[in-house]
Amino acid sequence: MATASRSIPDPAALRRRGRFNPGDGILYGLTLAAALSALVLLILIARELIKDAWPAMKEFGVGFLTSRTWDPNTEVFGAATFLFGTALTSFSALLLAAPISIAIALFLTELAPRWLRGPVGALVEMLASVPSVILGLWGILVMGPWIVDHVGPFLHRTLGWTPFFKTEPAAAPSFLSAILILTIMMVPIISSICRELFLNVPRELKEGALALGATRWELVRGVIFPYARAGIAAAMILGLGRAVGEAIAVTQVIGNNEAITWNLFEPGDTLASRIASSYVGATTHLMISSLVYLALILLAFSLVVNLLARVIVHRVTQQQGHA
Amino acid sequence: MSFRRSAITVALVALVGAAVAVTAGARSQATITGAGATFPAPLIAVWQKEYKRDQVNYNAIGSGGGIAAITNRTVDFGASDAPLTPDQFASCKGCVQIPWVLSATSVMYNLDGVKNALHLNGRLIADIYMGNVANWNDARIRRLNPGVNMPDRKITPVYRSDGSGTTYNFVDYLSSVSPAFKSRVGGPATTVNWPTGVGGRGSSGVAGIVTRTEGAIGYADIAYALQNHIKFAAVQNKSGKWATPGLRSIRAAASADKKFSSTNELSIVNPPRGKKYARAYPICTYSYVLLPLKSAKAAQLKSFVTWAVTTGQRFGPRLIFQPVPEYVVNRAKAQLRRVHS
Amino acid sequence: MSNAALTARSLTSEHRRRRRIVNWLMEGLATLSALAAVALLVIVVGSVAKRGAGALDLDFFTKNPSFLGFGQGGSGIANAIVGTFIIVGLAILMALPVGILAAIYLNEFAPRRIASAVTVAFDVLNGVPAIVIGIFVFVFIVAGHGQAGVKGAFALAILMLPLVTRSTQEVLALVPNAMREASLALGAPRWRTTLNVVLPMAVGGIITGATLATARVAGETAPLLFTSSLAGNTVSWNPTEPLASIPMFIFTSAEQADPALQEKAWGAALVLITFVLVASIIARAFGLRSRRRLTGGR
Repeated sequence: MATASRSIPDPAALRRRGRFNPGDGILYGLTLAAALSALVLLILIARELIKDAWPAMKEFGVGFLTSRTWDPNTEVFGAATFLFGTALTSFSALLLAAPISIAIALFLTELAPRWLRGPVGALVEMLASVPSVILGLWGILVMGPWIVDHVGPFLHRTLGWTPFFKTEPAAAPSFLSAILILTIMMVPIISSICRELFLNVPRELKEGALALGATRWELVRGVIFPYARAGIAAAMILGLGRAVGEAIAVTQVIGNNEAITWNLFEPGDTLASRIASSYVGATTHLMISSLVYLALILLAFSLVVNLLARVIVHRVTQQQGHA
Repeated sequence: MSFRRSAITVALVALVGAAVAVTAGARSQATITGAGATFPAPLIAVWQKEYKRDQVNYNAIGSGGGIAAITNRTVDFGASDAPLTPDQFASCKGCVQIPWVLSATSVMYNLDGVKNALHLNGRLIADIYMGNVANWNDARIRRLNPGVNMPDRKITPVYRSDGSGTTYNFVDYLSSVSPAFKSRVGGPATTVNWPTGVGGRGSSGVAGIVTRTEGAIGYADIAYALQNHIKFAAVQNKSGKWATPGLRSIRAAASADKKFSSTNELSIVNPPRGKKYARAYPICTYSYVLLPLKSAKAAQLKSFVTWAVTTGQRFGPRLIFQPVPEYVVNRAKAQLRRVHS
Repeated sequence: MSNAALTARSLTSEHRRRRRIVNWLMEGLATLSALAAVALLVIVVGSVAKRGAGALDLDFFTKNPSFLGFGQGGSGIANAIVGTFIIVGLAILMALPVGILAAIYLNEFAPRRIASAVTVAFDVLNGVPAIVIGIFVFVFIVAGHGQAGVKGAFALAILMLPLVTRSTQEVLALVPNAMREASLALGAPRWRTTLNVVLPMAVGGIITGATLATARVAGETAPLLFTSSLAGNTVSWNPTEPLASIPMFIFTSAEQADPALQEKAWGAALVLITFVLVASIIARAFGLRSRRRLTGGR
């Protein structure tokens, strides 16, 4: 990223040259403080969450992550069912979203006529700007009945032999509804990152393949995918992070049941969704603390996701820089 | 600055000023804010309109939320159908609970082609919610409803996902008629671990899921069933009679407990057998207002609650809220004297 | 992805027909996917428009909600509209200055290593889920003190900050160095250069970035869930008390059984999505124009 600072002397240099102006120092100080705000906020967030989750962390320890009990009356709490629900919904949504997003990105960079790329690209990005509460509203009132009346029975008829669609779909709030909503949310994110990636594939590589007589698909499979492989992985990881953190749309359509099951027609719950639904009514300190513990898990996960994606991208740009 | 720019600025300021004036003008009274149970919310909504002295704001977030809110003093009053536990009283640091609303929890169901007031007894409902009875054409349901053509449809139990006093009332009833339920799911509480089913937020959330799900069964204050035209069951009381939620059946149930606990609690769930309770609906409950003993808005709160338990009860019957009996009004007024600023 | 070696051998004309079919199939799938995404957008926005249009009348924008249709007529979302206006407005006031200053540091002052570390911090902050930010603000300033519109605004500002910083930084980088050098050559101190030369040139891009961040944040519910949800049922301009907001209204009305309330939810969704989409489109178009101006040189 080109910064201006490289061609312009920094305040220290200016000072050495005797061109120091107190206004410079003030501006420097202010902007430095502002720049550090993100780090300060992150530290604050971590500190406050750990502080409030501490009673639960002390009481349950790491076993919190494997305990399936969530009982506000006996005051025994465990995150296992929500970790399962989060993993099931997010990974399933990723499974659906990844091929679709990559396909869309390919369409926008290789296939579509130039005049179509802008508008269609803009429309796909607009899907990303639909607020999650509106997607949830749509999920409850439009997608839900559609799933129970049409999609569900179809899936049960064709794939009922798998553990995923074992029973007849009876009610709309379910893992399946959550998975579909999360897929809709992930697609624009992954596809816009992939679009950037595919645009940055060096022309020489692409032209070389075409000169050899490759079809477009072979170009994609043989040149673009290997080149952008790590970036695609990073995009999927970031999309996953978004899905894991989504609370509102998920809690509206998932049914808020504590269940560990592969049957996607069953209602379930995720970490974020449980926080959103239970926090307001939590009356005991241990319950509140356990919910903050859940938030802490979410925070840790989002940090890991973010850093992992960055590491992948960093390593790849280094590699490709040397190529 | 060009003339056009200053003209636009002036126009904008005038517009915003007018908007503020128009919308803020009506707030010359004090405001008291409350949060809590969805059970009494239909009646409180009417009270908000009818009580002229102050403006009452109410957020129906569930009894659990109401208890939490008043404990943290984020609101002026709380509302809960579930009576506070000793621990909750301790955390609340000087709160009083006063019964102010009396109604019934209906057992709603969505089943096409089946009449209203299906006969479901307590044990059967408990088994449905435990997952032991999974289909509407189960023999046990058919036996209780001879002559009714029960369809082959999966039963989807719907419960409250948030901390709910209605859950407390419903579980209080089920655990008293079914020992199996009591050991598997637990005794009365605002949240329990339901073995199966779908969770909805608030009584309206439960009503919403029931209306949208064919074969669903759910529990909520009778006002929600009536307002949304949802069918509700007739439940068998201890005297063997089948009762549906209504003013008469609520009145009969209320006569089961006239003795207040030290914290003003009255329990009228599953009245005993006897001629007095022959008509009683077994899943009735009082709902309580939660007040801090010391509050800057003590005068407004006292005035509002007094109005609510007297004049306010008048608006209840249309929504199947039975006006609270005289002894409750007297107790309320006496307890209100403890609230001071 | 499998290692598909593009050798001359694998591209012989023997398999040409099969290769062409596979290619055609893949192209079809890609086109279908793009079509599906566009169709989905049309379906979602279309549902909102169709079901919400009926709710939009003058009452909707000027009256307050009556949550239970128990014979209460003429209700609307006036308090939610005003509340969102105030909360989002305060969020902009909090996030914009900090974001601009941070971007100035990153672009004008920071040595390479520090800039990169700081950027990482902002990116990580961007990835923190909104619900976690909501919980943080609750335990930080709401617990024990009460909800308030301004506290909800603080939560939204945290969400906006990385977006504003990044977009401002990008546009600052586009300002030609020649401008800075000319200003310094004329004897202006660094801070004058930044404030009076660089920033004014970047204003267009800053407004674009701020608008996009606003559009993103105006629809967030999770940060307001614990900070500004116990709001009154009437219009309030006072940010020290909890204020109603459009996303919270949609959230609470969405699961109701009453069709009249559902219609209000759709109506509110229509208002919100119109604002978000229109703001995004205008911001992007405006941003494109101002970017062209900056790089095209004028």
